[in-house]
Amino acid sequence: MIKGTLKEDKRKIRGRQEEDERKNEEPMKIKELIKQDAGFQYIIDSMDFMSAAGRRCMLNTEFCNNADELHAEWHRLEHAIQATREYKYKKPYIDLRHCLMCLHDLQGTLASLSNHTPLNEVELFEIKNLSQLSQTAKNAIANMGLGDILPIPETTEVFSLLDPDHTGIANFYIYDSYDPRLTPLRRELNALQTSEGDPVRISQLLAEQNEIQNEVCLRLSDQLHPWSKTLITTMEQMAYTDFLLAKADLSIRWELSQPEIGDIIEYKGLVNPRLKERNEKQKLRYQPVDITLHLGVCLITGANMAGKTVLLKSVGTAQIMAQCGMYVPASKAVIRLLEGVVTSIGDDQDEMNGLSSYAAEIIKISDILSTCRSREMLVLIDEPARTTNPVEGKALVQAIIKILNTLNSFTLITTHYSQLGVDCRRLRVKGFVEDLADLPLNPQNINRFIDYSLTEDQSDNVPHEALRIATILQCDSEMIALAQEKLLN
Amino acid sequence: MPFVNDILRYRSLSIVGLEKNTGKTVCLNYILQRLNQMEVSLGVTSIGVDGEQVDAVFATAKPEITLYKGTRFITSEQHYMKRQVVSVLEHVDSRRTSLGPLVTARVLIQGKVLLSGAATTGALREQIQMLDSMGCNLSIVDGALSRLSLASPTVTEAMILATGAAVSANVKQLVSKTKFLHNLILLDEVDSDLREKLSTIPSGLWAVDNEGEPHDLGIASVFLIDRAEKDILRFGKTLFASGAVSDRLLRILAAKEKGITLIARDFTKLFITPEAYVEFTRRDGRLRVLQRSKLIAVTLNPTSPQGFLLDSKSTCEALSDALQTPVYDVKKIEG
Repeated sequence: MIKGTLKEDKRKIRGRQEEDERKNEEPMKIKELIKQDAGFQYIIDSMDFMSAAGRRCMLNTEFCNNADELHAEWHRLEHAIQATREYKYKKPYIDLRHCLMCLHDLQGTLASLSNHTPLNEVELFEIKNLSQLSQTAKNAIANMGLGDILPIPETTEVFSLLDPDHTGIANFYIYDSYDPRLTPLRRELNALQTSEGDPVRISQLLAEQNEIQNEVCLRLSDQLHPWSKTLITTMEQMAYTDFLLAKADLSIRWELSQPEIGDIIEYKGLVNPRLKERNEKQKLRYQPVDITLHLGVCLITGANMAGKTVLLKSVGTAQIMAQCGMYVPASKAVIRLLEGVVTSIGDDQDEMNGLSSYAAEIIKISDILSTCRSREMLVLIDEPARTTNPVEGKALVQAIIKILNTLNSFTLITTHYSQLGVDCRRLRVKGFVEDLADLPLNPQNINRFIDYSLTEDQSDNVPHEALRIATILQCDSEMIALAQEKLLN
Repeated sequence: MPFVNDILRYRSLSIVGLEKNTGKTVCLNYILQRLNQMEVSLGVTSIGVDGEQVDAVFATAKPEITLYKGTRFITSEQHYMKRQVVSVLEHVDSRRTSLGPLVTARVLIQGKVLLSGAATTGALREQIQMLDSMGCNLSIVDGALSRLSLASPTVTEAMILATGAAVSANVKQLVSKTKFLHNLILLDEVDSDLREKLSTIPSGLWAVDNEGEPHDLGIASVFLIDRAEKDILRFGKTLFASGAVSDRLLRILAAKEKGITLIARDFTKLFITPEAYVEFTRRDGRLRVLQRSKLIAVTLNPTSPQGFLLDSKSTCEALSDALQTPVYDVKKIEG
């Protein structure tokens, strides 16, 4: 079904290409990788951020392919994990989490400060609060032995500037001591207000007071201006602290492990966190898989329900996690540093609305090919060309494999097409275990009879188990019988 | 000093109006002034945006709220900038409203302020808790427009109902409209055992059998009641509606059988008209609530925004007779 006109399609495509060209220049960020539908959104949703700033810090993290930087980040994470294990229910950790919970995202205020835009009382309060919070956080971090890893700038002078009466409390107003005119003015104002005095004089005093307050705000903004860079760093470091603690917490909860960097991609006991959690909730078995990938294309075949799509997402998720400085959901992992992850998984996405599912898919794949011509990527394509006729579909799949085989990419493609006649590696999901025909099966317990592990496959045929699965799922018996008859003929 | 002493028995109070311009703000100012003489640690906020100097709908002059030394108040950043008090900022909320973040401050020198507050009852509850943790013995919430939800006993412990010429310039109608809401506010509570069992039910229509045990009728929303496959009265004639109660529900129940008891959470969940209620009670139907609101007083604003002026004394008397409770013209007691 074609949902949009050809003209519209072309316009959409052109706009998209321009956007892609621009994006190809710079490293991918997490917020772009989420759109790749490799299941990474679930990772972010599972992380326990204390502040909006911490979450933003994560979304702005770049997909890193510099080994030194990644090792440094994993090193920090290792320390954070150790400290979290040791201090989880102790004072410094609880204090630090509380500080982060109170952290407001002051991007706008701090931008005003560095642009010489005068701050108002509320903004000054926020800065005073940030300086106090960051100093409390700094102490907690030092007590957890993370001072070297999470350096928080010294801002006690900022606090003093906003605390002229040395109260030590993060409250704020334009204190009398900021301007000698304020004390007599407020004394008179108070006397008039409490005795219901002359309203004209009251308005006059209020206006005068406002003027002085504005002057003080201006002066304070000026005095704080040299601190703007330090305060921005403070804000960023606090946000990063939140991100690092959330990573450490997730690593402990999910038993993630630190990957090694190598020339190939190799996982032992790779897990799809989302599916694993779901299975655990439903008290179902979850089977981790082992997989090794080399440069070039690897075809994944296997029956329906054998977890091919999940496998693609697991590989994609783990790659993104690793290159964003996280640990990975596998018992052992070697990763090859790549420039990004591109996928064609599932049905068309929002941005593709108006295109038929075939059109959306083929455009996506064509984009993938053009990206891979200039960059080294992890490519995940789920059942390409499945929504069009099998004759042309098969030809397209052959072409896609051929092109990707010559490029510098690690590609995983799932397919149900047999006899593709292309030269590439094939892995088959073992699928349904034999001798189970007599067991009563239903969609709830079916997963107990599937072996999700992968095996090298030399043949060019794919398993034919569609009818068997339909039988197991107790689908319409007339349909199944007729189909079987057709096949025999 | 009528009813102010009663207020002190509670930790939170809402002032709600039957309509806009029923004198909520005048009433609040009266209470604030009286409490100022009593050394109560007080917190004040509002639901939504209120406290405009000029009423946005009718362009009539609106009295501003006067706060006294030591009072904590919550308002939006923009309204805070327009304040006529001298005050210390104590907290800034991380969530933003259309008027900037909500800020909490303590008054140093008395004066007038514009109040605005959280837009949802959930957020309002949090604000009240925060004021409480800052040491306020009493938090007062000024209502906005004709919203009643803040008077839910799950949000504020006690309430004051403001009525007035804005509801109707016809005294008879004013009395009957006020009396209807007053009746709903004073509906009987169920016993505490049943309340405990029902209060945790998150949604849907439930039946209560003769032993007081709740049974899920499998109706996710009362709006789906006509799709119920089984008889909804199979467990008995007592039902519990966890969400809103509408005219339609009352009429369906009235048509079904005589003598049905319907339990609602509290009066703020009753979105019903007098007509439907009468139909229901004529069939011996009864309404009950899990929790009854503590109504402290009913106040009257005899002036309507269009300029009508009711006779204060006779209207107050007519209302008192009908409601069997004292009714105060706030402008009079203030003077």
